[in-house]
Amino acid sequence: MNNLLQFVIRYSAFLLFLLLEVVALLLVVRYNENQKSIFVHSSSKLSGNLYKLADDAIQYNNLQQTADSLAGQNAQLKQKIFNLERSLQRLLPADKPLDSCLLEPYKIIEAQVISNSINQRNNHFTIDRGWKDGIRTGMGVISPHGIAGIIDQVGEQYSTAISVLNTAARISAAIKRNEYFGSLIWKEIDPGHMLLEDIPRQADIRVGDTIVTSGFSFIFPKGIFIGTVDRFWTVGGSNYYTLEVRLHEDIARLDRVYVVEFTDTELTSK
Amino acid sequence: MNTIPLKHIIRAILILLLQVLVLKRIGLSTSWLWQYGDIFLYPVIVLLLPFRISRHYAILIGFVIGLIIDMFYDTIGVHAFALTATAYARGLLLAYLEPRGGYQLSMSPTIFSMGLNWVMTFTVFSLLIHTFLYFTAEIFTFVYIGQILLKTLITLILSMLVLIGYHLLFNPKS
Repeated sequence: MNNLLQFVIRYSAFLLFLLLEVVALLLVVRYNENQKSIFVHSSSKLSGNLYKLADDAIQYNNLQQTADSLAGQNAQLKQKIFNLERSLQRLLPADKPLDSCLLEPYKIIEAQVISNSINQRNNHFTIDRGWKDGIRTGMGVISPHGIAGIIDQVGEQYSTAISVLNTAARISAAIKRNEYFGSLIWKEIDPGHMLLEDIPRQADIRVGDTIVTSGFSFIFPKGIFIGTVDRFWTVGGSNYYTLEVRLHEDIARLDRVYVVEFTDTELTSK
Repeated sequence: MNTIPLKHIIRAILILLLQVLVLKRIGLSTSWLWQYGDIFLYPVIVLLLPFRISRHYAILIGFVIGLIIDMFYDTIGVHAFALTATAYARGLLLAYLEPRGGYQLSMSPTIFSMGLNWVMTFTVFSLLIHTFLYFTAEIFTFVYIGQILLKTLITLILSMLVLIGYHLLFNPKS
């Protein structure tokens, strides 16, 4: 009887183990299917607040550096705006004021990356903005030197984004010089490179070509600098090139990022 | 006796903080080694549970700790899968590695109670199971068996260093 009892106790531990493993695997599979009903992720208040606390402590050391870098970016942006306005004014008829012609399809929400990873198969980062700030699933996240990712889970104050270094990420990107476009994906090569696939063979490609966002999806505005071509090849008798793109942004050092909201429904339908 | 669970809870919280705030950040280094590896210190929470704790509790604790890590790593279910298995394997390993005189049930598997060699053996087998299952669940297909093995090996070595370092540095008694 005692032996039997011990056997049952042993067996029940194994059963519990099996049950929990099945639950864990279900979570893994569900997550891989990109279902939205997941309850534990780092956009939750608990992890968000903890990450924010740690990030604030680290930020404090870099304040001067961050301020310098932001001022530099500001100067560049101001220069770009003045030049664009000047060019626009020249194109417009003289009697039309510039303000009445400006479209405003994009809204930019600034955010701070409070947690990040690059060494997993599917990397994510967490930002300190949530649905309270207007963040929604599917918005693009850009960084000062390129693109960073796409918003995935949105909490009240924090959100997680699929990093570009994520096997689930597919970004429509184009060669700036001749506008051939394809899908930019990450195949776990290394955190500094992504692959641009499906570029037709007749495209003229040179090492060093600039790769930008294509603007064919409404996640990212057109023409954001992503990186440069390191090398390219075709697989077997395929009619398509695969390009290895060196990312301009160092994803490991993501800090200040900008979430892009596309609001113009009129433009979407065109 | 009543202070032991509290001690375990506080230790677990501190190790979780260390894992998600410090060790996870180290993974942001772009050197070759880190692209293939990670440092897992948190399995020590399960490995350091006292000998007398029932397997059921160990497995449940493993699952819960795994889910907490998953929340911070955004790897839903992957860490939970690996740590639940590690917690189950802990029971089997303890039975397999049991010294002739048996365990002192009020103790934990520490250098203080079992000696460095025993702790190293126990830790390396547990971590091997943990890291292998972690990367298997992360990739979720055996097509990439080479990559799983490479990541397992690098992570195992890095985690082993940190885990034994933890034992030597803090020398936990229970």
